Amino acid sequence: MSSPLVAPPVVKTKSLSCPNCGGPVELRGFGHALTVVCPQCFSVLDASTPELKILQQIEERWRRTPKIPLGTRGKIGGGEFEVIGFQTRSVEEDGETFSWDEYLLFNPYKGFRYVVEYDGHWNFVTPMEAMPHRIALGGRPGVIFEGRRFKHFSGAEAVTTFVLGEFPWRVKTGDKVIDDDFIDPPTVLSAETTDEEVTWSRGEYMTGAEIWKAFALPGPAPRASGVYLNQPSPFKSGGMWTSFGGMLAMVAALAIFFSVFSANRTVFEDHYQFQTGDGREPSFVTPIFDLKGRTASLELTVHANVTNDWAYFNFALINEDTGNAFDFGREVSYYTGSDSDGPWTEGGQTSTAYIPSVPPGRYYLRVEPEMDANAGSFVRASNGKMTRVNRMSYSITLKHDVPDYTWFWIVAGLLMIPPLAHTVRGRNFEVRRWMQSDYPPVQHGGN
Amino acid sequence: MSQPISNCPNCGAPVQFRWSGAAQTACPFCKSIIVRTDIELKNVGEVADLPPDPSPIQLLTEGSFGGQRFNVTGRLVYEYENGGWNEWHIVFSDGSSGWLADAQLQYAISRLAPAQALPAQAEISRGKVMTFNNVEFEVATLTLARYKGFEGELPFPYYGKSDMLFADLRTTGSQFGTLDYSEDPALLYLGEWVEFDQLQLKNLRQFEGWA
Amino acid sequence: MLRYPGYLAYGLLLLTGLMWAEYRGWSLSSVDQVKNVPKTVRDNPGAYRSHYGFYPRYVGGK
Repeated sequence: MSSPLVAPPVVKTKSLSCPNCGGPVELRGFGHALTVVCPQCFSVLDASTPELKILQQIEERWRRTPKIPLGTRGKIGGGEFEVIGFQTRSVEEDGETFSWDEYLLFNPYKGFRYVVEYDGHWNFVTPMEAMPHRIALGGRPGVIFEGRRFKHFSGAEAVTTFVLGEFPWRVKTGDKVIDDDFIDPPTVLSAETTDEEVTWSRGEYMTGAEIWKAFALPGPAPRASGVYLNQPSPFKSGGMWTSFGGMLAMVAALAIFFSVFSANRTVFEDHYQFQTGDGREPSFVTPIFDLKGRTASLELTVHANVTNDWAYFNFALINEDTGNAFDFGREVSYYTGSDSDGPWTEGGQTSTAYIPSVPPGRYYLRVEPEMDANAGSFVRASNGKMTRVNRMSYSITLKHDVPDYTWFWIVAGLLMIPPLAHTVRGRNFEVRRWMQSDYPPVQHGGN
Repeated sequence: MSQPISNCPNCGAPVQFRWSGAAQTACPFCKSIIVRTDIELKNVGEVADLPPDPSPIQLLTEGSFGGQRFNVTGRLVYEYENGGWNEWHIVFSDGSSGWLADAQLQYAISRLAPAQALPAQAEISRGKVMTFNNVEFEVATLTLARYKGFEGELPFPYYGKSDMLFADLRTTGSQFGTLDYSEDPALLYLGEWVEFDQLQLKNLRQFEGWA
Repeated sequence: MLRYPGYLAYGLLLLTGLMWAEYRGWSLSSVDQVKNVPKTVRDNPGAYRSHYGFYPRYVGGK
């Protein structure tokens, strides 16, 4: 007969009586529990012996109600876990107290996990066996783990202020650990240091909605306020700038396309002379020319050889058939000289006018030049008197189908607005994140 | 796998060793700890009843690791000031011996490392760094433990020792080590942390309310 | 690139507008239009009254 190997019976949950109030204390952890809290009288009991020795009684003012009730099961982190313990911890900073809640999750095969909640922000936490490598990151502490850099966010002494349910280790209110958090959103690596050991754990950010869905909790999840240390930024702007780059390239391509395929055809060009004081009618009309094809723009260029003088041109582009006209004027002024800073010039001898959306047809130009009659050189007139005569030579060129490049600049500028706004909001988000850290950003200046 | 059948040196009942490498087992009838030497079986004491414990692993659980299948043949239960853990003895398909640790459901597989120069017990403290196989290990915790009990078949005699010092060695990755100062010279175990799903365990214990 | 469909739609709208504006010869600068200019202007250009109005004299210099 061989040594019998009998499979142990199915492990059952246990229910004991609280030694303080006699109420039922349920043990969901199948013998893992070292500490359990009576849910009726809030006595902290030593579960390592069957007598359930009373270690502590939690005062009423510290008692809280977990947002996820003990015993709730959820599908999370690749498995099914049950909430068996609850702990509230607090940190004091500048006279203010900050508290967060930790929910201990249990699966008899996969082990223990946590869900941590602060101000509506949640984290799914897994204990780590590895110890990340500590380094200096830009003058501050950091760690490297699995090829990622984690920046130190905060380090403080955390005190346990409330416990409920059961834990596989000894815990009671008043227990202290030094808690250091290192972030690389959406992940956080936390180190808890006591006199005996350092325990690392890894947290992944989760929203209230995701937690509520995982644990099938009724109603809406509590709203999150502010920015949490490892909350992922919704304004990672890299993607938008890439799109901007792509679309800017398209704008440039369009500019090249239009500059190549616009006809830019000179439909009229001529040279003239003008002078004041000869008593003749200054205005004249050009011969008729044809504007063929689609409605397009015209560019008129007038060049005059004025020096330290000005000339003004009244133009009308008149459609011979319809009688519609474009009426405009242009000034050409050019001044030059020299002073203590050296030679200078002001203005130019060329002026252009851009006439948009000119329908095709037969057109001519009416031109009326004008100059300063009191400038110019003295000349003896035919009647013997000395008069001033101002004169110039000028040319008029008319080009058909000329692209207006202003549009390209405007579109490029407009395209820049959303990614710029996105980047600004992203910076703002990070400032709000780091304001709560041990390294709050300096206002106005600094980095 | 040879399965020699012998008689319990205490009560005479037939005792079968399921594993050829077994050096220790317990008589199921009189609860004597039986140690097997090359020549004879020796009774070295009584094994304590194991209290109900939460490990999902049991004798005859099977699993996979490092491309090999393994069987659970025995277990050592340790306890210390703040709890306890299980070291399940496993035998791989190539006959080699290893350990599957279950400490609050954090699992690790390790093997005895070949004899080498190890720091003395007096030199060990938390934070001390040492190198094995080109990997840096750091002492994370020092634990003073004792045997709570054993069951099944073990590769070496484990009995009678109390107040054993263990040093937990951790790395920046999944490797880990244990320095066992219960022996002189000390023993080094090297291994890897594993997730429950990686081991593909079969024939596990059942828990009320859990699939 | 497809992470911001709103921005892409906005950009595509701008590009379409750009192409149409260029094709039709639109411009931000506008020029006054006058209707019904009589054909007699070709014989008598001085009779045409410019609607552009009086232009103040520019006095230049530094």
